[in-house]
Amino acid sequence: MPTFPATTVDFFLAGLESFMVRSGQGRHWAVTALWLKGKPEATALNRAWEQVHARHLMLGARLRRKWRGWRLVWETDGPVQAPPISWQPLSGQTDETTLIQERLRGFVFGQAITTPLFLEVFGDAATGRHLVLLTWRHALMDGTGVNLLLEKLAAPSDASPPSVPEATQESPALLYKRARPLMNRLHAMTRAGCLSAWSKGLPEAGGAPEFQLIQLTEEQSGRAAEKLRRLCGEFFQMPFYAAVAVRALRALHESRGWSSPEIHLHLPAQGRKRSPDLVFGGQFGTLPLFLESSALDTLDTAVAHVQQCYKDALKQGLPQASEALMALARQMPVRWFIPMVRLQNRGQICSLFHSHTGAFLPGRADFAGAMVENVCTVPSVSTPPGLGLFFSDFAGKITITLAWRTGGLGPEELKALTASITTDLAG
Amino acid sequence: MPQAPITPDSVIELLTSEHILEPQEPIAPDTDLFTLGLDSMAMMQLLLQIEERFRLSVSPAEMTRDRFATAGALASFLGEKRRLAA
Repeated sequence: MPTFPATTVDFFLAGLESFMVRSGQGRHWAVTALWLKGKPEATALNRAWEQVHARHLMLGARLRRKWRGWRLVWETDGPVQAPPISWQPLSGQTDETTLIQERLRGFVFGQAITTPLFLEVFGDAATGRHLVLLTWRHALMDGTGVNLLLEKLAAPSDASPPSVPEATQESPALLYKRARPLMNRLHAMTRAGCLSAWSKGLPEAGGAPEFQLIQLTEEQSGRAAEKLRRLCGEFFQMPFYAAVAVRALRALHESRGWSSPEIHLHLPAQGRKRSPDLVFGGQFGTLPLFLESSALDTLDTAVAHVQQCYKDALKQGLPQASEALMALARQMPVRWFIPMVRLQNRGQICSLFHSHTGAFLPGRADFAGAMVENVCTVPSVSTPPGLGLFFSDFAGKITITLAWRTGGLGPEELKALTASITTDLAG
Repeated sequence: MPQAPITPDSVIELLTSEHILEPQEPIAPDTDLFTLGLDSMAMMQLLLQIEERFRLSVSPAEMTRDRFATAGALASFLGEKRRLAA
């Protein structure tokens, strides 16, 4: 049976999903929504959909341990059949939020989703607008992968099948040495006591995935872009959005009377040497940042602080240390990973999930022949950390996704988070 | 100590020797760096190396797409910056 080497982020995503399932939070589903001005061309979309399934053996792959060397690999039986694309009218009775919420739980109109990808097109007869919902298993793909997948679905191509990435093996002693700077930093963080949106006493499991989209107007998006340019230049988006996200979390902490002297943010960092054909399998690494709450008083100071921490993290080799630590952790059973992280972090995983951020489908105006109005991703998040903040920029339109689980955020807290984010971006 | 010269080749050497970009093909002075994966983290690594190797600090306001699009454009920008600072 063909196998593919599993990356360290594959291990992280598998560990996270294992934790979610074991704590009653369900599988780790995500939904990417595209709003189209017209109807996508069915033949082209079907062809692209079938191509993706025929070419990417990962769609039928499972994570397995190899007895020899205890390596974690993706094992596949061969190409999988593409599930039919579902075409439905968008009736007045079903709103977009309800549709997305059900899919985040892994269901479509009451039926459990049995494939890692599920594609639906909802048409509004009155306006001609269409909503495309792509529901995907997060354990199989990260936020970078979904952008690449949408590119492939947007137009069929004759590209050759993807090449398989090289497996790398390093000695545990070498990995330990490389991981040491991050281990020291994590110990310091534990002593400082980082909090997320969850703390002991709050419900941890069972809540259904919830989300809210904040779609900035054209004028608001323009103001946000101007701030971004002023603080971070034309294309250095991550520190800007990260600063907005951590300030929102700090506002939530303050509203609850909590104090978290540090905020532990794991930023996704794009892996090198990746091929644009490698859609499935996690590709990113992580850049752990330990931010001081006291430096987040204004957006300007917060951005400068994130940039400085970003710089310091690179100087200290934390991305490489993070990769090495994950490579070491990969030796342990998947189900032990998150419990071990929580033991180390006094019940936490990190302070919040913040990824899927930045330009979405850059340079693309249409999807299967229909003009794209907007696009964003809504991942389900686990508790802890209990909160995910994601920022999507499509052709200058900014959409913010707030994701949490039922019971994890009150209506007033949600208002406070929304106000903090909107004011920071467009105030 | 004499300052390292800033040329398209020295920028390309910096990008590859520091593993900021790891392209399959050699980088030419007019190759689009963004298509080679010049993302946020690579950009921060690049800024750190520019500080270390060329003794120049680039502010966020100076980070425009045109200036960082190719090794040639970046070398021109950094050369001009050094000339003005002299």
